[in-house]
Amino acid sequence: MIFLPELIVVACAVGVLAADLWIDERRRVILAPMAALGLAAAMVALIVAVPQNGSTLGGRFAVDPVGWWFKVFFLLSGLITILLSLDLLDGRVGVRMRGIGFRGEYYTVLLATILGMMVLVSARDLITLYVSLELATLPLFVLAAWRRDNAQSGEAGMKYVIFGAMASACMLYGLGLLYGLTGSTALSAIDHQLRDIPAFWLAAAMLTAGIGFKLTIVPFHFWAADVYQGAPAPVTAYLSVASKGAGLAFAFQILYRMLDGWVAQAAAGVAVFAAVTMTLGNTVAIVQNNIKRFMAFSAISQAGYLIMGFVGGLAEGVPAMLFYLLVYAVTNLAVFACIVWFSNQTGKEQIEDYRGLSRTNPLIALAMMLGLFSLAGIPPLSGFVGKFFLFSIASKAGYHWLVAVAAVNSTISLYYYLRIVRQMYIEPADEGATRLPITPTLAVTLVVLSAALVLMGIIPSLYETISAQTLTWLPR
Amino acid sequence: MGLVSWLIAIPFLTTLAILAVPAGRWRWIRWIAVTGCGIHLVLTVVVTWLFWQQASADVAAMKTALLTKLYLVEQVEWFRSLGIEYFVGIDGISMVMVILTSVIIFTGVLASWYVETRTKEFFVLLLTLVTGVFGVFVSFDLFLFFMFYELAVLPMYLLIGIWGTGPKEYSAMKLTLMLLFGSAFILVGFLALYHASGMHSFNLLKLAQANFSGEFQRWVFPMIFVGFGVLGALYPLHTWSPDGHSSAPTAVSMLHAGVLMKLGGYGALRIAVYLLPEGAKDWGLFFMALTTVNILYGSFGAIMQRDLKYFTAYSSVSHCGFVLFGVAALNLMALKGAVLQMFSHGIMTGLFFGLIGMVYGRTHTRNIDEMGGIARRMPWLAVMFYIAGLASLGLPGLSGFIAESHVFLGGFFGNSWTNITVMRVLTILATMSIVVTAVYVLRGLAKVFFGPIRNSHFEHLDDAKLPERISTGVLAVVLVVAGVAPWLLINMIEGALMPIFNRLNGSIAMTGF
Repeated sequence: MIFLPELIVVACAVGVLAADLWIDERRRVILAPMAALGLAAAMVALIVAVPQNGSTLGGRFAVDPVGWWFKVFFLLSGLITILLSLDLLDGRVGVRMRGIGFRGEYYTVLLATILGMMVLVSARDLITLYVSLELATLPLFVLAAWRRDNAQSGEAGMKYVIFGAMASACMLYGLGLLYGLTGSTALSAIDHQLRDIPAFWLAAAMLTAGIGFKLTIVPFHFWAADVYQGAPAPVTAYLSVASKGAGLAFAFQILYRMLDGWVAQAAAGVAVFAAVTMTLGNTVAIVQNNIKRFMAFSAISQAGYLIMGFVGGLAEGVPAMLFYLLVYAVTNLAVFACIVWFSNQTGKEQIEDYRGLSRTNPLIALAMMLGLFSLAGIPPLSGFVGKFFLFSIASKAGYHWLVAVAAVNSTISLYYYLRIVRQMYIEPADEGATRLPITPTLAVTLVVLSAALVLMGIIPSLYETISAQTLTWLPR
Repeated sequence: MGLVSWLIAIPFLTTLAILAVPAGRWRWIRWIAVTGCGIHLVLTVVVTWLFWQQASADVAAMKTALLTKLYLVEQVEWFRSLGIEYFVGIDGISMVMVILTSVIIFTGVLASWYVETRTKEFFVLLLTLVTGVFGVFVSFDLFLFFMFYELAVLPMYLLIGIWGTGPKEYSAMKLTLMLLFGSAFILVGFLALYHASGMHSFNLLKLAQANFSGEFQRWVFPMIFVGFGVLGALYPLHTWSPDGHSSAPTAVSMLHAGVLMKLGGYGALRIAVYLLPEGAKDWGLFFMALTTVNILYGSFGAIMQRDLKYFTAYSSVSHCGFVLFGVAALNLMALKGAVLQMFSHGIMTGLFFGLIGMVYGRTHTRNIDEMGGIARRMPWLAVMFYIAGLASLGLPGLSGFIAESHVFLGGFFGNSWTNITVMRVLTILATMSIVVTAVYVLRGLAKVFFGPIRNSHFEHLDDAKLPERISTGVLAVVLVVAGVAPWLLINMIEGALMPIFNRLNGSIAMTGF
């Protein structure tokens, strides 16, 4: 059963929604474990029952090693997001956030986006691809606006809808043009029939805008900062990780499956996008004061690093990107676990609110510092290793200037990540500040994520496995 | 796990041990730290002995060798698909640097005996930093090297930011960013080397067998050299150094000026010159000119300083200039001098910064003009200060003389591919700094220690306590030993430098200088 994991996610989403109808508010605490268990079961099914290669539904739904790893990533980030959300939704917090609730709907919507992303990587024709992308994106608009009576959250949802609709329209136009040019909706058939004509370049530009929107590539990043800031913290975490992964998966589908012959020619363009994205993300992040907004620009710059793997369309880029995506997921979610915890306990989201955290909660401050250093690419953490592999791709493609830009950008990024470290470690705590409590779920999640972000850089087996399975994935 | 891995593992395990102790027990923590460093010192002696057992037989063979020969090698595949290995070993240069680091950290921990705020975090960060330093000196895989290199730089931010003095946050940020800016260029260079070699390996010895084209060497060499040069305080990228050193707490200044700045010279020699000899020949004169500025600028800058730490920091810029000057001069004598200077300056400046910390802890001022006559109250510290000062101005019998005379002789002899007149002029200019050094060292120390006691508060000060006496005594003894019996070091270094030198001269074996 190739699509067993997807079926489990659907069943789980429906199950959560149905259960939500039948039980009373007090018992709704079981919804989060239900959703989490569902994703865990899907993960088991993915590992046990899904082969590395196979297709069904007349070749329109297929699995290959790259798709398989993307699904691992989506399930993993979904699962962790649920673990990060449940304290907030169940009200186990120090400062109650108004207008948050509706647990049944929340988890159902979350599961629906995960389902969309999983189908997205398995789609093999334009229609499925587009529909699954919409399934992955539309529920996110709802999630961003989840705090009903909060103006910022509403604004976030609204902006996201408008920009998202715009991006979807561009993308649909691009896909339509491609269909018109080739007369086929099968991705693999399109590849062979494209010719170098203006209509093709128009389609390519439209698709670039669409991909750029999902991946927050400059200049298509405008929505990110406001949406990240307005959305509830766990949703921001999900947006910055899973949604970005979906963007990458979509880029894989378009660039490698459909426009494979053209990727190498676009190397200079990709390099410029990467350089501009990381530079803008990093420089703007320096002046942010709200931690979620700050993380939005940090995530934009990370997207810049991520697409370095496309430069030159090299085979080594595929495992490098997949590995970095997993590293980024673990690292960013570790940082967000701290942010979610802090906002749950204090209701505060400014960077200077973190002052003295190393005196009151030394272990959480340590975890947060590790996460930030990993994002900045400091060895021996996994962020360093992942970036090193990506930089190596650009170097191999001959783009030494891009390596220099990226490496200098890492230094800039360290400057603003150190701002938070400074608040936590160098600034004294407020008078009378006491230790803040942490719930067991969040504590365990944080420990696991921190351990993972250290070990993934030291133990080579994860990268070696990905590399062995996907290095020969590109047909060339 | 072999002995070389233990050189890296002991500071790391000490860190873990300290992490396990509750923060309130700060007396235990410093004992754990000093025990760990003591064990490391013993291990270093053992490794040196084993190394010399094997290496002494090979020195003659190395005269014609083009490849570095390593001892006590450990090699394990790591990221196999990218050709990254855990590859550590020891050769003469790294042995000398390991001895230096081991001595400095041991004395540095003793000099930090009275750090009582956030002791646990202090020692954790200090030992993490040292783990990185040891890693750099024994790694022969570029990936591993780079990993340890950055690990050694980063803890500095918190060490200066939390325990520093003066404009500490500014200095910490400036230092961290400038050093990582340098390492960005090193990274570009390393990746270019990896891909250009076509060997699918980061192994330094394998890369040394690759044929890099002249054009390639011409642009990669300055990238890597400047990248390391930032840490080696290459003019005009040295500006982090005075601020950083003067804001840092005692042990951190010791380690940073004593050891970390040497990573710059070490990397420039070991990687830039060794792998890219043609590039080195093209750029040698340019970097000699820059480092001459370094040497003169640093020493003149030191004259003007009123703060003891700035004073020493500028003198460090000048002395680290000698290291890079020797590396850029590219003959055997000068290269030998560069390595000797790394060792000599490391010990000397470690002693200087250690002493400044001890004096400051008593007088609560570092301003030279406010002090005076304190030799009467603290004779031990005064004597030690003078030993360091005399080594710094190159008095024969102390290590500085040996190192600097090698560098100058090497620079004066010149080499076959550079305009010898220009090299000699630069060398003569650089030599003049010795006079300037004598001026500022003797004047500065006389002001601080002799004359009438200016401040009645100084009448009640006491001399060095036992941990401080051990710390400074050990360093002074090393300075004297290295000055009186320099062949102990030169023998070790020579065998390791021959391959680098031979590569510069094609395959022609050269003897003499």
